[in-house]
Amino acid sequence: MKTEDQVWTELRRHASAQLRPGFADRVLRAARAGAEAAPSLLGIFSLSAATAIICLAVVSLYRSANQNPVERDDIVAGWEKIAADSDEFAAK
Amino acid sequence: MESTQPTPSVDLIRRVQRGDPDAQRELIVAYQHRIAGFVYAVVGRSDAIEDITQLVFIKLVRAIAGLQKPEQFESWLFRLARNTCIDHLRRQKLRRIFTPFAPEHENVPEPAGAVGSEELDALRHALEQLRPQDRALLALVQEGRSHAEIAVTLRSTVAAVKARLHRAREHLREHYQAHHEN
Repeated sequence: MKTEDQVWTELRRHASAQLRPGFADRVLRAARAGAEAAPSLLGIFSLSAATAIICLAVVSLYRSANQNPVERDDIVAGWEKIAADSDEFAAK
Repeated sequence: MESTQPTPSVDLIRRVQRGDPDAQRELIVAYQHRIAGFVYAVVGRSDAIEDITQLVFIKLVRAIAGLQKPEQFESWLFRLARNTCIDHLRRQKLRRIFTPFAPEHENVPEPAGAVGSEELDALRHALEQLRPQDRALLALVQEGRSHAEIAVTLRSTVAAVKARLHRAREHLREHYQAHHEN
């Protein structure tokens, strides 16, 4: 019967046999490919900022193009009423 | 237990840190078999050994420039290997929750006799019953790491390492004997 250490040695031998020849070269190729493909922090930040600006521009363009003039007048009138009420309240 | 293997020179580590490809290759070749054995002891799947070992060395190549003390390289490398294995097991567990029926996400144990002797089967079975952290601890001891080195690897104390190791060995022996007798 094998000792515990002999069995561990067998386990390690089995494991190292699973690495195909050229392992080190594959690791280095994968590490290089990953490093080239990885975007820089500045790149990530610029992309996020550009996306946010485009989204804001699209939303404001959409809103200004689709707002009904009657609806806009209602909103302005509402604000004017609030301002007048505030002035009246402040004068009391 | 295997005796402590020669550690790479500080000069080699510094060359790897500077990005010298020959030094990188030399370092990978020097450690690939030890890391593969460690990965197998923790993960327990032959088909995952190459991928996880490769991931460990890719992380090594990318992160070694930040290693402050080249003399602690081995502790650092085994910490990297341990964390990579535990992350892999955690991700696999999560995948099983979200896609429980995908065959590649099933953690089916290798059938008895598939990879070696009866004793190896018993050891693999016994390791499977332990927590991944305890498997890693036992594998570090088998790598010839001292208690002090393991404490550095695990960022723990020597006393805590000794206590955990004692418990892990007891559990391993229990499961190993039970399986072997069956």
